[in-house]
Amino acid sequence: MKQAALLLGVGLAALLVQSAAALVLPYPFCPDLGLLVVIAIGLYWEPLPSGFALAVVLGYSTDVLSGSLLGQHAMLRLVCFSAARLASRQLNLRGSLPFAVFAGGLTIIYAAALEAQFAFFTGAPTEVGALGRTLLHAAVNAFFAPVVASVVERLCSWGGDEDVARRSVRFDGGAIR
Amino acid sequence: MPEFWRRLGAPIAFGALALLTTITMVADRRGIRDDARDLPWWQAIVLEITVPVQKVLLAPVDSVREAWAGYVDLVGVRDENARLVERVAELEEANLQFREALVASGNLQRIASMRDDFEIPMLPSEIVGLDVSPWFRSVLVDRGGDHGVRSGNPVITDQGVVGLVTATSGKAAKTMLLLDRQSAIDGIVQRSRARGIVRGRGTDELEFEFVVRNSDVREGDVVITSGMGGVYPKGLRIGVIRDVADPGGRLMQTAELIPSVDFGRLEQVFVMLRRGPTMDLLFGASGDAEPEPIETSPQAATTTETVQSLSEPPAS
Repeated sequence: MKQAALLLGVGLAALLVQSAAALVLPYPFCPDLGLLVVIAIGLYWEPLPSGFALAVVLGYSTDVLSGSLLGQHAMLRLVCFSAARLASRQLNLRGSLPFAVFAGGLTIIYAAALEAQFAFFTGAPTEVGALGRTLLHAAVNAFFAPVVASVVERLCSWGGDEDVARRSVRFDGGAIR
Repeated sequence: MPEFWRRLGAPIAFGALALLTTITMVADRRGIRDDARDLPWWQAIVLEITVPVQKVLLAPVDSVREAWAGYVDLVGVRDENARLVERVAELEEANLQFREALVASGNLQRIASMRDDFEIPMLPSEIVGLDVSPWFRSVLVDRGGDHGVRSGNPVITDQGVVGLVTATSGKAAKTMLLLDRQSAIDGIVQRSRARGIVRGRGTDELEFEFVVRNSDVREGDVVITSGMGGVYPKGLRIGVIRDVADPGGRLMQTAELIPSVDFGRLEQVFVMLRRGPTMDLLFGASGDAEPEPIETSPQAATTTETVQSLSEPPAS
């Protein structure tokens, strides 16, 4: 519970820092720290239902501080959390480089999904020129991803090393069977 | 039961949360279409908490920016001063001529009514945060419902139109910028009076679309609000046309527009404490249609001069 509250606080702080940083850094160069925190939580946070709840609460907070419809980011962050969790079961994303590549790729998918939602709700045409900016933004996110992941990993393992250990043992056991 | 929850807890939680987010999205969309009001309490709390924290976070950023801007401003200030003095003299001369022409044509009554149109109470507000999602363009300002700000109030600066208040809490308001892809304003070319819709593209540029093919639209033309949308008063600067696209076989032509407002350096804005008739229809005019009295905030003031300076100059 304490860890969940801490992660929630870090997620909200990431949003505020990101919002302040956006005043200095233009869009493609400003990392989406809120998204990175959710992806990292998907990787390191063990209990699934509370992880889902964390992702959705952080998504709703993003919606409140953004011009999007309420629930747009919440839904996509829930999907991102799940994607990170599923991918971490098949791939080793614990290293800096794999996680950076994964976060960059997920950023592109996130942008595409948001574009689809936007088109669905507003009927606005897709902005083709946005692709270049999205790729650049994904690269920036990939650059910052390892730092965010290490912070989230420390918070998840803080006072909860047993969880991490139990998870790796269970995975190993599953592989042997 | 614990075994059931252990097996199916995660899928159930995922399904329930996915359903919840879908419902809130649809409800929010319907709210925007039908009868959007102030934010619900829990969203208002998030905004209320955000504003002071953002101010603290912005303090070092602002001081660095101010120091840099101060240095940059000093460079060439003497030349600029001389240029401005010359320009003021020119404008005073032109102003005098316009006044003479208007008095001579007996249009004093029209001038008086125009003054009434522009005497809109305005509230200076500070930008305390940008959109946390890079795919949307909105800002958070530090004045809200307690200061008389309501959804649908136009937001401007001395350079032109900034956007529209979309949601308010007690002490904060979310403002959708002109640049947002959900933003569309009815505009006219100041020179030729050609009409069109100015739409945000999510980038730093705007698009001037639905302009009739044979309308006279040229690079460098200034586009102003037409007042036809019933949202913004007529005559506020929107932007300058940068490029007119070849319409080809289409009936309508489009043009690229550079916004008058420098959104990258936006720090202080004015919230117009009066909504247009369209906004009253959209957001509901029952009871709260009239703007809050100006006394609600000591900062609010009728800044006639500011709006007049934004308005289009009288036709010569």
